Amino acid sequence: MYISRHMTGEPITVSSAMLLPEARALLNDYQFRHLPVVDENGILLGMLTDRDLRSAYPSSVLSNSERQLVYEKVEKTTVAEIMSTDCVTLGPNSTLDDALFLFDRDQMGALPVLDEERVVGVFSIRDLTTAYKNLFGVGEKGSILIGIVDDGSPGIMTRIVTLLEEQQIPFTRLLRICGKSDGDTIYLRINTFKIAKVYALLEEEGLTVKRA
Amino acid sequence: MSAPLTIISDQRYLQHDTGGGEHPEIPARLQAVSQALEASPYFSDLTFVPPHVAEREWLVKAHTEDWLFRFEEAVLAGRTYIDHTDNQICYDSYDIACLSAGAGLTGIDLIEEEKARNVFCLVRPPGHHAEHNIPFGFCFFNNCVVAARYWQHCYGKKRILIFDFDGHHGNGIQSAFEDEAAGYYISIHEHPSFSYPGTGYGDEHGLGEGKGTILNLPLSPGGGDDQVVKLLQETILPKLNEWQPDAIIIAAGFDAHREDEMTGLHYSTELYHTIGLVIRDWAEQFTEGRILSILEGGYELSVLGDSVEAYVRGLLGK
Repeated sequence: MYISRHMTGEPITVSSAMLLPEARALLNDYQFRHLPVVDENGILLGMLTDRDLRSAYPSSVLSNSERQLVYEKVEKTTVAEIMSTDCVTLGPNSTLDDALFLFDRDQMGALPVLDEERVVGVFSIRDLTTAYKNLFGVGEKGSILIGIVDDGSPGIMTRIVTLLEEQQIPFTRLLRICGKSDGDTIYLRINTFKIAKVYALLEEEGLTVKRA
Repeated sequence: MSAPLTIISDQRYLQHDTGGGEHPEIPARLQAVSQALEASPYFSDLTFVPPHVAEREWLVKAHTEDWLFRFEEAVLAGRTYIDHTDNQICYDSYDIACLSAGAGLTGIDLIEEEKARNVFCLVRPPGHHAEHNIPFGFCFFNNCVVAARYWQHCYGKKRILIFDFDGHHGNGIQSAFEDEAAGYYISIHEHPSFSYPGTGYGDEHGLGEGKGTILNLPLSPGGGDDQVVKLLQETILPKLNEWQPDAIIIAAGFDAHREDEMTGLHYSTELYHTIGLVIRDWAEQFTEGRILSILEGGYELSVLGDSVEAYVRGLLGK
C-alpha cells in the first residue's frame, strides 16, 4: 500500500533558472504535466505544471503584436517566476490512501514524493488509478466482479469461501461493503467463464446474487 | 461457379472431450448445429468440405512456441485441464485444436482459389479468448487470429476486418491486433463489468499504430435486438465505409441468445438472421461477397442450432 511501490522514481526535474521555452519542450517531449523544480542538491523548490505554462503563454485571443510582446517576455522568464511553491508533498511512507485523500481534497494531478526534502519520485493520479485498478482486479482478463446480498447472517463469509473452494472456483478478491444506497453487499471477483454455474451454486446455498 | 455457402466441419471435432459434468463447451453443440442445418429448407444450398490441419508455421504466427509445447505436453501427459479448470482437455485436444484452427485456412484457400465465396467454419474448440501464450475460456488456439495471419501472409491482405458478435469480448483477437494498423477488430458484447472475460471496454480504441483499429461496443445486461441493429447500421457501417476492409472474418458466437445463460444479453433467434443478412451486404459492398465466418460460443443446445441456421439463412440472403 506504500506509494513508493507505485510512483515514478528518479523523475525528470528542472532547475529554477531554466527558461520557460525549455521547460515547455520537456513537458511536451515526455508528455508530462508536472515537473518538480529542484536546487543543485535535489531539494524541492516548487512544482511547474502545464497549466502554469499555459497561463504564462499568450492567449489566442490577443492580437499578433500583443502576442509577440508576451512571447518575448516568456522567452526570458525563468521557471522560478511561475512555479508553485506551496506544494503538498508525499513521503516514502505515504500510502495509496494518503494520496487518494490529498488528490480528493486538493484536486491535484500529481504530487512530488520527498525523502527528507529531496525529490525521489512523482506520484500522479494516473499512478493512483493504476494501483487501485490492480488492487481490485479491474480489467483482469478472465475475471468478473459479482455481488451477493449480505444479509448479516452468521458465517456468511465462511459459507461463500467454503462453497467456492469446494467447487474449485478460483476467486481473487472478497470485499464486504456496508452500502448506504445499494444495501450491504459482498463483492467477489471470480475467475471463470462459467458464471451461470457460480450463480446457481450460490443460490442453491441460499445466497442472493445481485444480478444486473 | 462457387456454392452459395460452404461449410467446413469435421466429425473429429467431437473428439475434443471436456470431461462431461457441467462443462458447457461440449460435442453436442456441433451435433445440435448439424441437426438444425439438415432440417433447414436451405440445406441443399450448403456444400460441406473437410478442413485440413493448421500447420505449425501458421499457429506460431498467432501463438508462442512455448504455448504450443505446453499444450501438447499437457495432453500427452494425460492432464484433464490446462491453466484453469475452464480449459478442459483430453488426449486428442491438441490435434483437434490444430484441426479447428485449420478450418479457417482451408476456407481462405477456397475463397482465394475462387472455389467458394461465403464460408462458415463450424468448429470446436472455439478460439477468440485464446491469447498469444495462454488459453482462456475454453479456447486454446485463436482460430480467427490464425486465419487473419494466414490471409495476410499468403494472400497479402492489408485491411482485415474481424467482426465478433459472440456475447463475450474476444480478448485474444483484440490483443493480437490492437497495436497494428492492418486489422480492424469490432466486437458487440456484454459489458465487461458484468461478463467474462472482463475486457472490452468502450474506451479501448487500439494502441500506437493500431490506434483507431479497435471498436468495442459493450451492451448492458438485457441488451437485445434493437440495440444490435442500431449499432450495425448507425455505428459499424459508417466505420467500414471509412476503413474499406479487403477481407472479412466473422467470429460468430451465439451465446448472447436470451435463452443462453452464459451471458445476460437477450438476443432473439431472428436477430442472427438479420446479422447474417447485414454481413452479407457488407461483403457485397467491400469484398465482392467474400466472407469467412468461424464459430465461437453458443452453449444453450435448445436454441443454438436454430440460431446458427438463422445466421446461415442470412448469409445466403434468404
